[in-house]
Amino acid sequence: MDFTIVIDSLPSLLKATGMTIFLAAISILIALVIGFLTAIIRILKIKVLNEIANVYVSLMRGTPLLVQIFVIYYGLPQIGIVLDPISSGILALSLNAGAYLSESFRASILAVDNGQMEASMSMGMTYTQALKRIILPQSLRIAIPTLSNSFIVLIKDTSLVSVITVTELLQMSSLIIAKTFEPLTIYLVAAAIYWILISFFTKLLDRLEIRSSKYLVR
Amino acid sequence: MIKVTGLVKNFGANEVLKGIDLSIDKSEVVVIMGPSGSGKSTLLRCLNFLEEPTEGLIQVGDYEVKAGGKIDRHRKKVIRELRKKTGFVFQSFNLFPHKKAIENVMEGPIAIHGKGPVEAKAIAVELLAKVGLADRADHYPAQLSGGQQQRVAIARSLALDPLVMLFDEPTSALDPELVREVLLVIKSLAEEGMTLVIVTHEMNFAKEVADRVVFMDEGIIVEQGTSQQIFENPKEDRTKQFLSKVEAIVAE
Repeated sequence: MDFTIVIDSLPSLLKATGMTIFLAAISILIALVIGFLTAIIRILKIKVLNEIANVYVSLMRGTPLLVQIFVIYYGLPQIGIVLDPISSGILALSLNAGAYLSESFRASILAVDNGQMEASMSMGMTYTQALKRIILPQSLRIAIPTLSNSFIVLIKDTSLVSVITVTELLQMSSLIIAKTFEPLTIYLVAAAIYWILISFFTKLLDRLEIRSSKYLVR
Repeated sequence: MIKVTGLVKNFGANEVLKGIDLSIDKSEVVVIMGPSGSGKSTLLRCLNFLEEPTEGLIQVGDYEVKAGGKIDRHRKKVIRELRKKTGFVFQSFNLFPHKKAIENVMEGPIAIHGKGPVEAKAIAVELLAKVGLADRADHYPAQLSGGQQQRVAIARSLALDPLVMLFDEPTSALDPELVREVLLVIKSLAEEGMTLVIVTHEMNFAKEVADRVVFMDEGIIVEQGTSQQIFENPKEDRTKQFLSKVEAIVAE
């Protein structure tokens, strides 16, 4: 292993890591909104929207992310929708993660003890009030571990966007390798960066989980 | 105050309530007893529309709801109004675990009556003191004993200033040594003149507080009367059988 190569390529790799973090962060935010709304639509069984939500979740979970990226980036221009690589990547990642997050949200809402809804209703709350004030705050805590899982997958999935020429961490690694012919070194450095990134993120969410569970401690 | 007319509740093919007529006066304390599966909890839950009755009419104060009506906005609203006037205490407490004791009690005044936090807190402080838990205001439910949790739950219901309090086996989930503290709180409500409907197996408690004991079996009211009439002089065979079984357990 040649450490000068590592040191020389590190600035470019770190800069590309910035793109990876950017893709992941924006996609997570959008996916959270999509996932939450989809879950609420499915829980409330809102007419028409519920059917759409079901098809959406089924499609996203039933097809490979790589195919979804290709459809958005190479397919949509044929019907006049042209998106740049970064927007295409963000769209694909957030649509995909949103479907998984909606399942997490939905399961966590259903996991809240039925007595909580009964107690809220017996006080005279509306269903929406009960959801907002009583059920959702509890379900979010339940959802954290599975959300955290989806976030980790999403961070790793940003690497797939390299195939549509977004210069994120993996794409940059390949570019450097094309010049240096050191695939082992460079890919290992890239792997290490992903690993550090995800470890940091996991720690953060673990802390959030502990903090949000403080009311359960006797 | 409360009037139930021709109440029928079916769960699928299973007829749990087979035509209940019951009226309860203001300040009356009614204890409902009967073997498990007799429909007593279902009756109580129908009073609060936690179960939708199949047939019949339920009146609480000025609100009346007919079973099987179209579920529209207006009906939902009447049911909500009716619920606001009927405090419900669950066997399993059902406190909101993410809220402190005092926040549990403040929830009704804030969410239902639209009170501000200062006013809601004043109400909650007073009610927690009333159930003897002024010093536990900042504890989360998980940090309280079962008896304390149930007392907070009672305070939470009282915070809505209900016309009537419904208790669904309020001490059945408690360790024996914690039963008394909850019963004492309920008794103090009776002494204040609150209208109470209590489903319970605590016979001695029923003797102490009940103005009227209603004995139910297999979805009907078998007989009702003062606690003396029911416990010492039951007329129906089913009542006698039930009482002898319960007494046998108490004697053990």
